[in-house]
Amino acid sequence: MKNNNVIILLMVFLMMAIFNAQSVFAAKLEKVIIGHPAALSGKYAKAGEQAVAGIQAAVDWVNSVHGGIAVDGKKVPLDYKYYDCESRKESVTSLLERLITSDKVHFTFAPYSSGLTLAGAPIAEKYGMVYMDHGGASDKIFRQGFEYVVQTIGPGSRYHAGTLEMIKKIDPTTNPHPKKIALAYEDSEFARSVMDGAEEKAKELGFDIVFKRTYPKGVTDLTPLLSDLKAAAPDVVIGGGHFQDGQLLNKQMADLGINTRLLSLIAAATLPAFGEALGEFAEGVMGPSHWEYGVTFSKEGAAKEGLTWIGPSQDEYVKLFKKAVGSDTLPDYHAAEASAAVLALVLAVEKVNSVDPDVVRDALGELKFMSFYGNWDIDKTGKQVGHAMVDVQWQKGERKIVWPESAKTADVVYPKPDFK
Amino acid sequence: MMRHLQKYSPILPVLLAYGVLLGIGLAYPGKWQLIAQLAFYCALGQAFNLFMGMTGYVDFGYVAFLGVGTYGMAVSIYFLYDKGLGIGLIFIGLALAAVFSTGLSLAVGAVALRLRGAYFAIATIGVNEGFRYFVEGARIWNGADGMIFSRHLRKAVGRETAMTLSTQWADILVFGVAVLAAILTLVYMRNKVGYALTALREDEDAAKVMGINVTKFKIIAFITSAVLAGLLGASAWALKLTYVYPEDVFEIHYTVEAIIIVLLGGAGTLLGPIVGALIYGASKYFLAIVLPGFQLLIFAPIIIVIIVLFPEGTVGILKKKIRGTALEKFII
Repeated sequence: MKNNNVIILLMVFLMMAIFNAQSVFAAKLEKVIIGHPAALSGKYAKAGEQAVAGIQAAVDWVNSVHGGIAVDGKKVPLDYKYYDCESRKESVTSLLERLITSDKVHFTFAPYSSGLTLAGAPIAEKYGMVYMDHGGASDKIFRQGFEYVVQTIGPGSRYHAGTLEMIKKIDPTTNPHPKKIALAYEDSEFARSVMDGAEEKAKELGFDIVFKRTYPKGVTDLTPLLSDLKAAAPDVVIGGGHFQDGQLLNKQMADLGINTRLLSLIAAATLPAFGEALGEFAEGVMGPSHWEYGVTFSKEGAAKEGLTWIGPSQDEYVKLFKKAVGSDTLPDYHAAEASAAVLALVLAVEKVNSVDPDVVRDALGELKFMSFYGNWDIDKTGKQVGHAMVDVQWQKGERKIVWPESAKTADVVYPKPDFK
Repeated sequence: MMRHLQKYSPILPVLLAYGVLLGIGLAYPGKWQLIAQLAFYCALGQAFNLFMGMTGYVDFGYVAFLGVGTYGMAVSIYFLYDKGLGIGLIFIGLALAAVFSTGLSLAVGAVALRLRGAYFAIATIGVNEGFRYFVEGARIWNGADGMIFSRHLRKAVGRETAMTLSTQWADILVFGVAVLAAILTLVYMRNKVGYALTALREDEDAAKVMGINVTKFKIIAFITSAVLAGLLGASAWALKLTYVYPEDVFEIHYTVEAIIIVLLGGAGTLLGPIVGALIYGASKYFLAIVLPGFQLLIFAPIIIVIIVLFPEGTVGILKKKIRGTALEKFII
C-alpha cells in the first residue's frame, strides 16, 4: 500500500514535470535579453562605462525607433541585463554563468579588453552562447578555435591598413620609388599586434620596412632610438602605444628635426589632449581610430556600397547616448563598437527569425552591413574584417577625419608639414 | 592512537564546509562558477594565512607566486602540447608551478625574510612589480604578449576534455588546493613548526634566545605558502582561463584581497580564511548584481568597519564565545 502511494506520487510529479516542460516550450518569446558582465569598476571602468551606455543607447533605439526585434512574426522588446565584473577575471566567469543560467539571457556580451574577453570565452562555449566581443582587439582570440565569439572591434593587426592604403593611393611618387617605412612602438601586447599587422600590410603593398624597434613601457627618453631612426631616413613613421610615449615620440622627433611625409601614432594622436599638449608640433600628425565623433557614415553611403543600413544616424546616436549616460559626455569608440554589436545581433536575429544561438551565429557569419559605426563583416573564425579604421589628422589645432573617403570630414594634408 | 588523531579534529568543520560547497556546486550546475569563485577565495585565504597568520608577516608580493604558478601551467600546455602527453600536461604543469613558486620564494625569502615587520612588508611590495617588469622587459615566455593556449589545450586533449578541464576540473583542483592548505596549516599548528612560529610571532627575539632557529621555520612556512599559491594560480588562472598576460596575473589587488579575507575571518585560525572568503566572495558577488558599478562604494566602508571593530576576525570572536564548550575542540 505504502509502495503504491509512492508510485502514484512519482507519477504525479512526472506529469507535472512534463506539463511544465511543455508550457516552457509552448511559451511565446516575450523579449530578447542581452547579458553583459560589464567592466564598470576597476582598471577598465572608463571604457566599460562607455560600452554599457553604448549598449543602452542601441537598445533604446531598437525599442523606440525600430519597434523591437521581429521574431516569430511579431516585434518583441530587447532587454539588456548587466552586472559589474570589476575588471576581474574570476567575476567574469561567475557573472556570465549567472546571466546564462539564472537570468536566461539569449545572447551574451564580453567585458572590455582582450584578457577579460578570453576569461569568459570558455563559459560561453560551454553553454553554446553567442558571445559578442566588442572590446577585445587581439587577433589571437580568433586563432583558438572558439565557435561562438564574434568580434566587432577591428582586430589590432588592421589598425594601419587604411593608412598604408591611403599612402599608396594618394602619393604619386610611390610607384617608381616604394616608400621607406619606420616602425617604433611600445613593447606591449596591443602595440605589438598593431606593429606586426602594419608590417605585413606594408610588405603586401610593396613598401620597404627600413626600421623596426620597440621601446619599453613608461619610457622617458626616446632620443637614442630616434637617432637611429633618423639615420634610416624613413618617409613614413608609424608607432606609439599610449598617450605619454606617443606625445614624447612626437615631441622628440620635432626636437631632432626628423621630418617625414607622414607620422601616425596609435592611441595618442586621436585624443583631444594630444593637440593641446603639443600645439603646432601636432600639425599634420595622424592616428588610426575605430570610430570618432564626426564620421560621416550614412544611409546614402551604405546604399552606394550596396549594403544594408541599420541604426540611428550619428546625431541621433549621440542624443541617445547622452540620455543613457545621463550627462553631456560624448560617445567614444568604446561605446560605438558596443552599439554596433547590438545592431549586428538585431539584424542576424531578424534575418533567421530565431534566437537559437547556433542559427544566429551562422547568420552573423553571413552578415554584412553598415551603421553609424561603419562597416561590419566577420570571417569564419568570428574575427572582424569589414570594419575599417578611420584616420584622424590634426589640422590647425583641430582633429579632422581624413580617411576613408566615405567617412572623411576634411582632405588629408600630405605630405605633412615639416616641424618648425 | 585515538588521542593522536584527536588533535586533528579541527579539520572536520573545514572538510564539512568544503564538502557542502562542492555539493551545492554539483547539485546546481548553473551555480558552479559562483562556487568556483568562492573556492578560489577560500584557497587564496587559506594559503596566504599559512604564512601570514602563523608568523604575523604580511607579504605584499604574494600574488607573484600565483603569477609564476600560472606561468608554470601555461608553459607546460603552450610548449609541450604537441608532444602527445595528453592529460599528463596538467601534471607537468602543476609540477612546474610548484617548482617555479619554490624557486621564487627561495629567492625572495633569502633576502626579505632577514627583515622584520614593516621592513619585510616594504621589501616584498617590490617583488611583484619587479617580477612583472622582468617578464615583460626580458621577453620571457612571450613577454607582454602573454600566452593564449586554449587552442593548444584543445589540440592536446580534445575539444570536450579541454572544455571540461577549463570549466570543471580546474575548479575541483582549486578545492584540492584549499583542502591541502587547510591540512598543512593544521599539521604545522600541531607540530614543532607551529609552536616555533607562534613563539616567533609573539616575540621573535625571545624565540631566538630560547634557541629556536626562527629563520628555518619562517622559510618552511614561506615556501609552503608560496607553493600552494603556485598551484592555485596554475589551476584557477591558467587551466581555467587558458590565457596569461603578465599584467593580469601580477596584479597587487589579489594580495590585498587575500589580506582582507584573512582579516575578516581571523588571522592565524584554521577556519578563519574559509569564513572570510565566504563573507567576502558572497557579498561581492551579490552587490555586483544588485548595484552594478556602485558595489565597491558600499563594500569598502563595510570591510573597514568590520576590521576595525573586530580585529580578531569572525572566527577569533567565535573562539572566545565557545571557550569551555564541546565545540572548542573543533574550532581553531
